[in-house]
Amino acid sequence: MKDNDQVHWAMVIDLQKCVGCDTCTVSCKAENRTPPGVTYNVVTEVEMGTFPHITRVNHPRPCMQCDNPPCAQVCPVKATYKMENGIVAVDADRCIGCRYCMVSCPYGARYFDFGQDYGQEMAGYNHLTTPEYGVNRGIRKKGKTPAGTVRKCHFCLHRLQRGEEPACVEICPGDARYFGNLTDPASVVARLAASIRAMVLKEELGTHPRVIYLK
Amino acid sequence: MSAAKTGPGSPGITLGSDFRSTYATLLILMAAGAYAIGARVLGGLNVTGLTSITPWGVWVVFYIFFVGLSAGAFLLSTLIYVFGMHRFEKIGKEALLVSLISMVVALCFILLDLGRMDRFIYALWFGNATSVLAWEVRFYMLYILLLAVELFYAMRPDLVRLRGEASLRGRLAAALTRNRDNLSPAALERDHRVMRILGALGIPLAILGVHGGTGTLFAVVKAQPYWNSALFPVLFVVSALVSGTALLMVLHIFRCRRQGRKLDLDLLRGMGALLLGFLALDLMLEFYEYLIGAYRLEAAEWATLASIFAGRYAWSFWLIQIGLGAIIPVIILARGSRNSAGNLFLAALLVLAGIMAVRFHIVLPPLALPQLPGLPWGHYGPTWVEWVSSLGLMAMGMLLYVAGTNFLPVDGTAEDERSGNNG
Repeated sequence: MKDNDQVHWAMVIDLQKCVGCDTCTVSCKAENRTPPGVTYNVVTEVEMGTFPHITRVNHPRPCMQCDNPPCAQVCPVKATYKMENGIVAVDADRCIGCRYCMVSCPYGARYFDFGQDYGQEMAGYNHLTTPEYGVNRGIRKKGKTPAGTVRKCHFCLHRLQRGEEPACVEICPGDARYFGNLTDPASVVARLAASIRAMVLKEELGTHPRVIYLK
Repeated sequence: MSAAKTGPGSPGITLGSDFRSTYATLLILMAAGAYAIGARVLGGLNVTGLTSITPWGVWVVFYIFFVGLSAGAFLLSTLIYVFGMHRFEKIGKEALLVSLISMVVALCFILLDLGRMDRFIYALWFGNATSVLAWEVRFYMLYILLLAVELFYAMRPDLVRLRGEASLRGRLAAALTRNRDNLSPAALERDHRVMRILGALGIPLAILGVHGGTGTLFAVVKAQPYWNSALFPVLFVVSALVSGTALLMVLHIFRCRRQGRKLDLDLLRGMGALLLGFLALDLMLEFYEYLIGAYRLEAAEWATLASIFAGRYAWSFWLIQIGLGAIIPVIILARGSRNSAGNLFLAALLVLAGIMAVRFHIVLPPLALPQLPGLPWGHYGPTWVEWVSSLGLMAMGMLLYVAGTNFLPVDGTAEDERSGNNG
């Protein structure tokens, strides 16, 4: 991680460009091959105003990769921690599955892997797993890590390590997502984060999210 | 001591013939519990009703319930051993035993709740200075050790006296007091000093570490406004005193009745008065907690309180927590010295049910709410595995209690025999 010292990954999501197609959610499931009940990215639909003055906002919700992550603060074994590159990681080999981080996340971004799979719907689902955090775990089996542990979005760290963008950013048909290094003032994300439209979720909690929305 | 019924040298009777039906019931419940735990070990948390929206369920509820029972029973014992309230002397060792067993049961519940039970030791091996839970696990271990040592010293004179008995109980006493059979006044004085010191160390450990700490575990979670209050840890300690006192009354009356012993009504009425005081304080704190929480008009807290007062949990809140668990016991306990043992038993049992409801209403209601608008709501309902395994663990605790009170001299020290009026 030495050469990553200057990198602090961040994501900017333009809510005006999001059409609510859920392609990010699907691409995330395909990329990370998350089991049933585990969805690193969701797009919520919030109705605003009262009829007839009404509008709908599509709100994509990955993990906020907070700079003050409440989840890492409460983890009894430091299985979840803030990496130098800004990503909040989960060490699936250390997580004891107490789920304290899940009740502590103000964004509902954490999911428990109950050990289910799509084996019924999809032949060979268990045979191809994603090397999350760069760890190749081989065939998915009942009771084998990461089953029984807590999982979350990690900005597709394994893709970043290959020099690719997170799957949701690459796939977004409306180009509503931007990804980059927030410590570089010339980067797109840094310039957008300085926009007057920029906001973060539940700012009052002091979590300092690294996912910034343009309203 | 029920010397009349369990004479020395009759090992068959020490098994507690009066408890035969109790043992049978408990063993059946434990067998059912073992089956459910087997299903849980094989199926993982998939066999529970838990989801990623409601990640904590009845096992966490019972875990905090039993931690509270333990802390409450222990604090009651310190009234005797540290603050010298010898009025309650007779129940001191029983309180320590109940406290120890409750803590073991609490830890079994939380072990069952871990997604990776096989990694439970990581909770001690690894740590995190900012994690309340990491501190808690260590406090629990220290606390269990302290309880066991203090209980041993409290029983030591009686264990030494029992050494000669040609029964299982006598052999157990002999094994426990090997090399520690000195009953000289100096040695007894040392025992008392050790117990005073352990009791005094135990008070901050039980209040700040064990149960206040368990409350802190919830209170620090800013993502759940309903828990995020500085009153929460205090409320936990006070409700622990309520439930610990009530549990001791229930168990003591049950056991004495079964053993055909005469109940010490003075002792029980004294405990009833304590229970009334603790309950009144608890209700006052609860009132402020709800009032100030509601007054904030914070959306999530408002929705949580709405589900408790007028929603999904309204029946258990008004009927069990307030009606059966608070109003009726207060009416009974306020009668003071006019109460019979049966009345006190009923009041204490209702209080226990009420505090169990309190624990349910702490853990479950806020976890039904979505963290962000548009995310799904939680619809948690415990499965049979969760209920049956919980019953099994509680039966295990009761079995440990019945066996512990049968095999260990928890009541009837020589001093008690002189001062007490039990038959």
